[in-house]
Amino acid sequence: MGVIGYGLGVIGAGLAIGLAAFGATSSMARQPEVQGRAFTVFILASAFAEALGLIGFVVTLIS
Amino acid sequence: MEAFELLPDEINHLVSEFYSTAVAGDLNVGLTQYSFWLLVAAVVLCVLLFAFVKKQTLVPHGLFVNGVEYVVEFVQNDVAKGVVGTSWRRHFPFLATVFFFILVNNFIGLIPGMKPGTGAIGCTAALALCSFVYFIYFGIKKHGVVGYITSLAPGGMILPMRVFVWVIEVFSLLLRPITLAIRLFCNMFAGHIVMGSFAIMASLFAEPLLNQVNALNAAGALPSLAWIAILIIIYLVEFIVAFVQAYVFTVLTAVYIQIAESESH
Repeated sequence: MGVIGYGLGVIGAGLAIGLAAFGATSSMARQPEVQGRAFTVFILASAFAEALGLIGFVVTLIS
Repeated sequence: MEAFELLPDEINHLVSEFYSTAVAGDLNVGLTQYSFWLLVAAVVLCVLLFAFVKKQTLVPHGLFVNGVEYVVEFVQNDVAKGVVGTSWRRHFPFLATVFFFILVNNFIGLIPGMKPGTGAIGCTAALALCSFVYFIYFGIKKHGVVGYITSLAPGGMILPMRVFVWVIEVFSLLLRPITLAIRLFCNMFAGHIVMGSFAIMASLFAEPLLNQVNALNAAGALPSLAWIAILIIIYLVEFIVAFVQAYVFTVLTAVYIQIAESESH
């Protein structure tokens, strides 16, 4: 059951990383000169979202 | 598929390997495997940086000196100057210390057979507490005790609303060290568990072939090639994660320092 719960929880993290990638790519396409800065922000944002998924993973393993 | 039936036990065994066990002394006074590798990382960091200081010349020569200077300048420009702002010179030593400490610990953990010092919740909690005390100290130094406490809520609104926002801000302030600690710990812990799981899958599928060589077992061992390929990809991703997590921890500490020192936010 815990694994199913983790699968449900990771939907949110996946959506968040997808949204971050969407924003990064569309901003890079509109303004190619901000590519470096946008990529840093994208990595930061997806690290935050990924952390939420990983918290679910660790809680699944521990419980 | 008997390999999949053996998998849960092996995974449970793998997870139990990650609990802190004492290698010297006991769990109250002594070294766990994590604190042992933490000390190793500290020694490695000292040796690296002292060698760097000794080799440093006015014009940098060689890969080693240039490499360390590149990372230091990255922290200086991207984190200290870019996020903290005008008072970056005062906070740069702390930020660089945190960054290098976490970076070396994460990379030590990636060498097979070694554990990351940051893979234990106690270590990351201590680091997060350090940055919590640090930014509160500088906030109080800038605004005074009463000034800092009132500066948590933005001005320019009616009093009941301001009290309500203040309570929320205090709550988010207290959550900051917890999220810092859990983010770093979970990334290190989960990354190693995932790598370990794929290594176990590869060895479970290849095991019949090692015991008895025939065509059926060879066909059964084919998926372990895929598991090994995934393992290598995840290992490379873990290098990026090790760097990004050190960067995220440092950037968030810098953001909190900047918020604590700002006039009114």
